[in-house]
Amino acid sequence: NAGGARGGAKVIVEPHRHEGVFVARGKEDLLVTKNLVPGEAVYGEKRVSVEGPDGTKVEYRVWNPFRSKLAAGILGGVDHIHIAPGKKVLYLGGASGTTVSHVADIVGPEGIVYAVEFSHRSGRDLINMAKKRTNVIPIIEDARHPQKYRMLVGMVDVVFADVAQPDQARIIAMNAHYFLKNQGHIVISIKANCIDSTVDAATVFAREVKKLQEEHIKPREQLTLEPYERDHALVVGTYIRAK
Amino acid sequence: MASYILFETASGYALFERVQSEEIGAKLEEVQHSVLDLAKFGKMIKLKSFGPFHNAAHALENANDVSEGIVNDHLKAFLEMNLPKPSKKNKVVLGIGEKNLAGAIKAECGYDCDSDMMTLELIRGIRLHADKLLSQLKEGDLERAQLGLGHSYSRAKVKFNVNRSDNMII
Repeated sequence: NAGGARGGAKVIVEPHRHEGVFVARGKEDLLVTKNLVPGEAVYGEKRVSVEGPDGTKVEYRVWNPFRSKLAAGILGGVDHIHIAPGKKVLYLGGASGTTVSHVADIVGPEGIVYAVEFSHRSGRDLINMAKKRTNVIPIIEDARHPQKYRMLVGMVDVVFADVAQPDQARIIAMNAHYFLKNQGHIVISIKANCIDSTVDAATVFAREVKKLQEEHIKPREQLTLEPYERDHALVVGTYIRAK
Repeated sequence: MASYILFETASGYALFERVQSEEIGAKLEEVQHSVLDLAKFGKMIKLKSFGPFHNAAHALENANDVSEGIVNDHLKAFLEMNLPKPSKKNKVVLGIGEKNLAGAIKAECGYDCDSDMMTLELIRGIRLHADKLLSQLKEGDLERAQLGLGHSYSRAKVKFNVNRSDNMII
């Protein structure tokens, strides 16, 4: 049943405040992205097909905030995600590529997602997903060593990171120094107990933000990902290499 | 300070020559500003040579070697063909994006190498304007090469997993 969310014709899809993201309004409102590869789901997510005014069908994929920190951040009301149609994104911690696939939908055919993942097990799924989505460049390598994949990556507009490592601020900074445009943006998911489980989450977030500031990253926004994730924060910043 | 810069791309190796100019000095901050502007940056740096890879397998072989900081015969030949012979009069300093490869080139080819902040800043500039600076390539060529190489590099990593702990047993 490709129709996905029940209701069929009654579902209306509207653009979200963030360009490239949409909301499907039916029995309940769902966050969706426009499927870059219509007819196929990536990880078993539901799809919604709507008929445009000219009779052509457009397919969207449902984006679950309980499975994606970026989706959780959007529903939590983040002001800017900086990921939009045509943008180039360096995605650190791509895992199996579930969120990466939605980011690929958002940036569209004119954009690029360089997706870095170190685990070979998740990496296989990531590579398979990227076979169909040709705007995703899979990179199975350790994000701690950006110099190892410098031949594969161009200059990017945004670095998105979901690496859940104690030294993640350093990992993000090193990648920004290599690949992020001056005045480009970073969007990071911070899982407090992956950094330090001996102090409270707010203290961990404050410390991580301070580390980023020391690396030319100016924090712009910070929000927690409740109720979708516990003790997680999304931090958005600007990379200021030269004033 | 580096007089030449090696820029490794998914399509091939590029060698840039640093043009000495009085307008843009040796201060890192000035360079950081001028790299943003292609008109200015284009006066600081000139493409000396571009050596494309022969095919996808050749690109992968080179990407693996660069990633591990190894100078292979192809890179060695490319540098020796395009760089002046180092002598006391004519000092050649080659800027390299990573220290291990810099050390290997120094040992293998005898060129002085540099991976300082200035070199890294110039490489940022080249990466930013690569489409325009690499005149042999058409728009989108570099991204297509990155896509092909990204897949082959990653497939090889997943296949040849040395520590195996992460491999599923089927």
